Amino acid sequence: MQFANHEKILARWKELIPTTQFTLGPFVEEFERDFAAFIGAKYVIGTNTGTDALILALKALGIGAGDEIITVAATFFATSGAIVAVGAKPVFIDVDDRYQMDANLIEAAITSRTKAILPVHWAGAAPDMPRIVALAKKHGLKVVEDACMGPGGSVFGKHSGTHGDIGCYSMHPLKPLHVMGDGGMISTDDEKIYTWMKKYRNHGMVDRDHIEFWGVNMRLQPLQAIVAGEVLKTVKETVAARSRNVFKLDAGLAKLAPHAIVPSRPADYIETFSLYMIQFENRGKLLRHLEANGIEAKVHYPVPLHLQQAATSLGYKRGSLPKTEQQADRLISLPAHQYITDAQIEYMLDVIGKFYTN
Amino acid sequence: MTPAIKVPYVTLAEQLAPIQSAILEEVKSVLESGTFILGPKLKQFEEEFARICGVKHALGTDNGTSSLHLVWRVLKLEPGDEVITAPNSFIASASSAALLGCKPVFVDILPNLNIDPSKIEAAITPRTRGLVPVHLTGRPADMDAIMKIAARHNLFVLEDSAQAVGAEYHGRRVGGLGHAGAFSLHPLKNLFAIGDGGMVTTNDESLIRKIAQARNHGLYNREQCDYWSFNSRLDELQAAILLVCIKQLDHWTEQRRKHAFRYNEALKDVVSVPVEGPGEKCVYQTYVIQAEKRDLLQKFLQDSGITALIHYKTPIHLQPAAQYLGYTADAFPVCKEACESILSLPLFPTMKEEQQEYVITKIREFYGATK
Repeated sequence: MQFANHEKILARWKELIPTTQFTLGPFVEEFERDFAAFIGAKYVIGTNTGTDALILALKALGIGAGDEIITVAATFFATSGAIVAVGAKPVFIDVDDRYQMDANLIEAAITSRTKAILPVHWAGAAPDMPRIVALAKKHGLKVVEDACMGPGGSVFGKHSGTHGDIGCYSMHPLKPLHVMGDGGMISTDDEKIYTWMKKYRNHGMVDRDHIEFWGVNMRLQPLQAIVAGEVLKTVKETVAARSRNVFKLDAGLAKLAPHAIVPSRPADYIETFSLYMIQFENRGKLLRHLEANGIEAKVHYPVPLHLQQAATSLGYKRGSLPKTEQQADRLISLPAHQYITDAQIEYMLDVIGKFYTN
Repeated sequence: MTPAIKVPYVTLAEQLAPIQSAILEEVKSVLESGTFILGPKLKQFEEEFARICGVKHALGTDNGTSSLHLVWRVLKLEPGDEVITAPNSFIASASSAALLGCKPVFVDILPNLNIDPSKIEAAITPRTRGLVPVHLTGRPADMDAIMKIAARHNLFVLEDSAQAVGAEYHGRRVGGLGHAGAFSLHPLKNLFAIGDGGMVTTNDESLIRKIAQARNHGLYNREQCDYWSFNSRLDELQAAILLVCIKQLDHWTEQRRKHAFRYNEALKDVVSVPVEGPGEKCVYQTYVIQAEKRDLLQKFLQDSGITALIHYKTPIHLQPAAQYLGYTADAFPVCKEACESILSLPLFPTMKEEQQEYVITKIREFYGATK
């Protein structure tokens, strides 16, 4: 049972219909205010999707053809999709043992064409944001955070997505903050960027009769803003529940080292556990074993971005990003969501434990 | 003095009231199903939509602009390529190509507000890739003439059908007349979602497959990405709502046509009314008259409690966004004249006879015409 607040959502949808405020309008604005307060950003706007949020952010910073963006290959395809959509080139660097952008590798990847760093809060954990922001400042680069899995997470008390110049969020159904379909958010503290993004999201319109520049339609739907508004009230609780599950799973799986490798969980990082990912030996066999025992596990994703057909022209090969590739071969995403019971956790640990002892 | 009757431009709430409970049932069932993305309701709606347009394939997108944009993307239009369209449309007709770095090229319109096919060939250059006839106001463009030109010059015809779902041209529905059609399901359209939505139609199976992939991140399956793209999906929730609305479409269109004909009869001696040409069946997403002293008339109607709008006051080629293209104010004489005289009168399916009577009376009064 993913959605506990059905009644409230249905009641608010019923309230929406007679108002006919179906494109932007008060329901979207209400959620934008709530989300801004939740993450502690000055300005936020709702977008159609997380991908659109990334595209909008890059456009707002004037990033386009010939520009290079430093990012990671251990992420969802949209991270690259957005960079390419604005005409820029993704430059992939490797990750650390927590599956996050390795800040130590940034400076070596900077060229005269680099315009921005685009760290990903992969799985809902965070890379070393203070260090990334400091490096960006030093080199005059912008920081766009792909915090698509980040709502509810933070680094040293600062919410994911609010460290750099612009933060981008997805509210796809599998995230702690989710809608019932597609939806995205974007945040910034820069008023000029905010004003520009608001226009671009709505066809470049100043008003109904005046178009300042070519824009698109990237609007968050009021139907979905209502869902997001209700779900937002439970995000902290959801993240806390997931964290409790993770703590138990981590403790159990750590005993299986080196068959299972549990990443470090630095104290000042609050992770959302949009995905709970652990590296396992013998992954293919273990996946089949889990399935045979009724445990739904997934892989996010077996082929990292730099080895996808879409990336052929970028010239990467196997070996280019050793840690990313090793993790892509070993990571399994296990269920750790807020509805998992202690008995289910015990069962998973038992099934996995037996796999390695036999 | 407050006006006796108020006539808003549209009253979506009245249109939705009789189907609100059906809509709530549908969204509730989606909510309980837990399937929110690319699910069975969307598939069912896509099939229904293809059926009413008389095409083989229809695909849901997040909005009408995306529908246009996706087609140009999968056809791999490149910066510098040119696309010919009408200047008096909503900006998306042009911006959808301009955003790919393509050059929108405008040609003048006919007095019926649709693109003038006799002006197209002079605008074709070696870089021209596509034609975007707009079925403005819900009136089909002259597609026979346009398709002949396209065939001669090997151009792709993308019908901007955003305002025209259900409109017919010599018995055939728009969206199936060119190589592909793009529709909007925005709340002010004849068929609408509770939010944004769009459709692409075509009879070309390989094209629809490419668009399906492009609207979902370029993914071949969950794990394989063939090319970088983005997310332009139509939500399952909206598809469920649209399945309720699409059942009403024929009825809504009939009402719109009835009201339009009534206006035509009652106003034809005082303003220029939108008469249907041979082979045209219009659906009147907007009902646009061309009137002398338009601004004064609009103000007079407003003071009388009647909202009439202008679609669109500033044509695309004169928007700040198009400044770099270098068009002058006199570039398109017919379009220029139209922009000064067009006025969209209130027309919506639930319009009451006394409301329409009141609008008619006020317009006749303005021109000093006897009843």
